Amino acid sequence: MTAEQGTPIQGVTLYSFTRAFHAREYDLDQLIRKTATEGFGPGLEIIGFSSFRGFPEIDDHFAGRFSDLIDEVGLVRTSLAVNADIGLRPDKLMDQDELIAYMRRQIAAAAKLGFPIARVQISLTPDSMEALAPIAEEYGVTLALEVHADQYASHPRILALRDRYEHLGSPFLGFTMDWGATVSGFAPSLIEAYRRRGASEELLAAVVALWDEYYEQGPPADQADHGQRFGRFIGLGHQYGRPDLGIDFGINGTGLFGPARVDDWLEIMPWVRHVHGKFFGIDENGQEPSVPVSDLITLLVTNGYSGAVSSEYEGWHWNHWQSPFEIIRAEQAIQRTAAESAGSRMITDAAEARRAIDAHLSHAVRA
Amino acid sequence: MIPDRIIEQGTLRARGGRAAVEVRLPWYRALPASCISAAKLTIDGAQAPTESLRWEMNGEEFTFADMKTNTAQWWFPTDSAVLSGDLAVDAGEHEVRVDLELYIPYIIIADDQVLHIEEHDTKTMSVRQDEEAYA
Repeated sequence: MTAEQGTPIQGVTLYSFTRAFHAREYDLDQLIRKTATEGFGPGLEIIGFSSFRGFPEIDDHFAGRFSDLIDEVGLVRTSLAVNADIGLRPDKLMDQDELIAYMRRQIAAAAKLGFPIARVQISLTPDSMEALAPIAEEYGVTLALEVHADQYASHPRILALRDRYEHLGSPFLGFTMDWGATVSGFAPSLIEAYRRRGASEELLAAVVALWDEYYEQGPPADQADHGQRFGRFIGLGHQYGRPDLGIDFGINGTGLFGPARVDDWLEIMPWVRHVHGKFFGIDENGQEPSVPVSDLITLLVTNGYSGAVSSEYEGWHWNHWQSPFEIIRAEQAIQRTAAESAGSRMITDAAEARRAIDAHLSHAVRA
Repeated sequence: MIPDRIIEQGTLRARGGRAAVEVRLPWYRALPASCISAAKLTIDGAQAPTESLRWEMNGEEFTFADMKTNTAQWWFPTDSAVLSGDLAVDAGEHEVRVDLELYIPYIIIADDQVLHIEEHDTKTMSVRQDEEAYA
């Protein structure tokens, strides 16, 4: 690549701390303060429907108080994760007009809360994204559609979106790169969780071997292939006398750990506006054993990416024995080391991060 | 997702032939009433009749039929809802089981189908008899 080297912005999504928030150990304000105090920022990503009561309705008083808190602690808002709840009424799915109106309210909420990016999801088609582009522009919020796990960068659905983006040329449409699409192994901490649930070593070895087989084959060609892989994970549960674990193997083996290679991201790299530094755990050597964090940071740096990376710890689903805060600290250390080894660095200063994200998005949020 | 959090330990109450327990959302983000599709309340193996079940959330009580079309009331991840039903419960320790069925509104698994999940939790606790109910 001939691009100038990037300086990605360090940050975190509060999703990483779901278990602590759900357990009422930390409320939203306390998590934001903790993020700042621990140095997990400056970038801060929040899921609207997880953290804001009454979302997407945000009153002026709350928005003002939220802004004051962010400024006080010196964090930088990156992405507000929003949801395309097409099945809000499961008996009567939204039509296109209803969906666009539903998304408009969330994009407005992102602007009101001061987030320059709204993370949107794969259920939005190229037509939906085209219809949302003028709304994104009206509010000055970039829509970054998340690419992860089984729908990797070179998946036909993602390429169709990319081609539409290219055709439309809107600076407000892009992607969120989620590292869950380019995983290199079945997470050992999840294997440990199954072990604690009484799974035999033979079964666990078979699960790892099946995932490795799919890694060798690369990501599933289509949804039918995806479904077949899911079925074989379920089959292992039956074969080894633990049918209760089969669906869990399938969901995680195909839905969380995507087996594409790191360079698959090059298909959409110019449209990457935000990054989820998805990972699952840190081993005894201080390394993430199943996500190639260093290679992914190197890819971003060498391709000139100076947007935000939200460390997104997903191991909280099964790992109830380790602190998510320690795990985030360790993963961010790997990111910083990798950026330096690639001849650059991660941005950790808030003022510099604000300038970088403005330049990266080439426009400012309009509340 | 975190099903072990569904039943709030120590919240079993009984009064007037009904039993109630506080429940938590086994998901990371708020869901509307329309996505809380069904529940079961079972105490010591006896299941409350489906038509007697009520769901209390945000200070209002609903039947599951009421909730089907309700997209105004949301279950926030840190809030407890209350599931109640017709069940006589004696003093002392009881095994409480709650089954929940939820729709996940942003995960569309076929053209007209939304992901449907079933989660359950079982916990043992003593009951608090609500005396004024018998007065």
